[in-house]
Amino acid sequence: MLWLQLLVNGLETGCALGVVAISFSLIYATTKIFHVAHAGIYTMGGYLAWWLVTLGVPFLVALLFAVAACTAGGALIQSQLYARLERRGATHLVILIASLGTLAVMQNIIAAVFTPNILQFPIPWASNVVVLGGSVRLTWAQLLTIAVSLAAYFAVMWFAHYTILGKRIRAVASNPFLAQITRLRPQSVYVIVVAIASAIVALPGVLVPLDLGLQPYGGITPLLTATIAMIAGGVGSLTGAFVLSIAIAELQNLSLLVMPGEWSIGITFFIFVIFMLFRPTGLFAAR
Amino acid sequence: MLRRVGLPRVGRRRVALRTFGITLAAFVVGWTVGGVSGAAAQTIQFGAILPLTGPGGLIGTQQMRGIQFAVDQINAKGGVRGHKIEVLFEDGQAKPDQSVLSFNKLVDLQHVAVIFSAFSGPSLAMAPLATRKKVLMVNAGAQADQLATASPYLINTLPTIGDEIKVLSKYLVADGKKKAAILFENDAAGISGRDDYIRYFPAAGGTIATQEPTQFGQTDFRPALLKLADAKPDVMLVSITAAPLQMAQQYKQLGLTFLVAGTTFLQDPALVADPASNGIVHTQIRIDAPPELAAEFKQKFNVGMEFFVRQYYNATQVVLTTLDKVLEEGKPVTGENMRETLYQIRKFNGLIPLEFKTNTATVSIDINEMRDGKDTTIKELSAD
Repeated sequence: MLWLQLLVNGLETGCALGVVAISFSLIYATTKIFHVAHAGIYTMGGYLAWWLVTLGVPFLVALLFAVAACTAGGALIQSQLYARLERRGATHLVILIASLGTLAVMQNIIAAVFTPNILQFPIPWASNVVVLGGSVRLTWAQLLTIAVSLAAYFAVMWFAHYTILGKRIRAVASNPFLAQITRLRPQSVYVIVVAIASAIVALPGVLVPLDLGLQPYGGITPLLTATIAMIAGGVGSLTGAFVLSIAIAELQNLSLLVMPGEWSIGITFFIFVIFMLFRPTGLFAAR
Repeated sequence: MLRRVGLPRVGRRRVALRTFGITLAAFVVGWTVGGVSGAAAQTIQFGAILPLTGPGGLIGTQQMRGIQFAVDQINAKGGVRGHKIEVLFEDGQAKPDQSVLSFNKLVDLQHVAVIFSAFSGPSLAMAPLATRKKVLMVNAGAQADQLATASPYLINTLPTIGDEIKVLSKYLVADGKKKAAILFENDAAGISGRDDYIRYFPAAGGTIATQEPTQFGQTDFRPALLKLADAKPDVMLVSITAAPLQMAQQYKQLGLTFLVAGTTFLQDPALVADPASNGIVHTQIRIDAPPELAAEFKQKFNVGMEFFVRQYYNATQVVLTTLDKVLEEGKPVTGENMRETLYQIRKFNGLIPLEFKTNTATVSIDINEMRDGKDTTIKELSAD
């Protein structure tokens, strides 16, 4: 059944995009910085894990190391670049340009160190196929992506709503000025948020290339799609970003049933443009 | 009071005139030789605009090595009639806009007379500039049909994709594979290949059931493969230049069983080595390197002398042979003279015999099958 296989493939792509979207949404909603270099962190995670796996390190250890390294990388960018620029009165446009520059530097370093070729994880089990329901075929890498992405989403939701740090982050995101005068120290919260979001984005950064291979410039398309999902879902709504990511991926996949592939991206985003005209604040935005 | 010490006025004027004359002569010699650096007047510079980064970086690196290998060999023998050869490599990233910028830089600033190019989109974008600025463009990697008529200053040392698809279509239909689906890359080369499949496969007696595009550099082929599989074809005709390994792996993972067939674009060492390539059939332009040459290359670069290395090595031999004749005849090394001389020579015997009846060389095309990590010729066919 073609539609069922497309539906499941869409779910897998959407889940991975959803994790990128919630991580980006966390940063944007809290810091108001359009952190384009997040795509570089996503890519870096995959390459670090690949490098360790090629050295013989077990995949799980490599994944955890990549998460740790991305956490540090994100914190470094926020504390040493964005925070410094903000202290000097830089506008968000200037910070966006700095972020773009950081992304370009990261991509070029990755291409120089690891070559611009498409690299594959030397992990045979990842491409072994599991047949579900007699007709749906998924690789272990795809199954792992779905499971880890859903787990990451629920973990982030729990963290944001039920932990003190999560509540502190939401408070800062809600009103930075009030947070400042109530000694919630927004600048240190920003560093923590970018670090956490970088840790989260490392998960699809490793798991998606486990299935599709690594490219130095491979982080831009997921980030752009995730950004659209974040806006359409309602800025600040993690559920909105995650659900809309899945919706976009499903639309792109299922639209193939009724139209040629070259139209699927255009039609999908046309639908979202129309949708935004009627609900410009996004689907899950608080009224 | 200080006095100026030195030559008398007349003497100074003579020295100045002599200096000016020498400088002028050096400049004229440098200009006529073409792309001569100030420090080494005997060096002749060529340009090469190849994708050295990005999704085409693997192929571009092979192409660069092919050119450099040929140039290093000739320089080790003293150059071409005493002139050392230098190639200025520019990273076109397989992007037309970036390639055009590189073209202008090489021609306007470095004054090169010959530029090696690759990939259809960039080559087609640079072709009008080659005509206008009379620079010889040498393509040994791109195969879009439009390249055959893109510019009188563009030569292609390999056949267009249409020539290969004619051969492949006849072979597949004769083999009973009459219902086809097309997977193509949504760029100049991929679309050109798709159009050729649509033109030549039905002409050979087959039918095209459906077609699906992918984007250049994309590695998720599953949606397109699933849609093509739904048409239940006998064969999937492939026209992609990037990520064929990922395409083949996902085809196997989805449990698809129809034949996969394509052109030289599928000749990727990583694909051949992977078990997912078992059974893939493709056309192959016949170009082999003698064992001693391949061994020398491996010693130098520590990698095998792959298809695009051989192609660009061969194309560089064509350029160097032409340059030798231009210098022998005492002509300035300009794009115009290089082009005229190339057509005068017409037949070249490098790694393979090439003949330029038009701007696109006539060569032999084989049918290969990938199996158990090897890419074996299963049928030899003539170019004509």
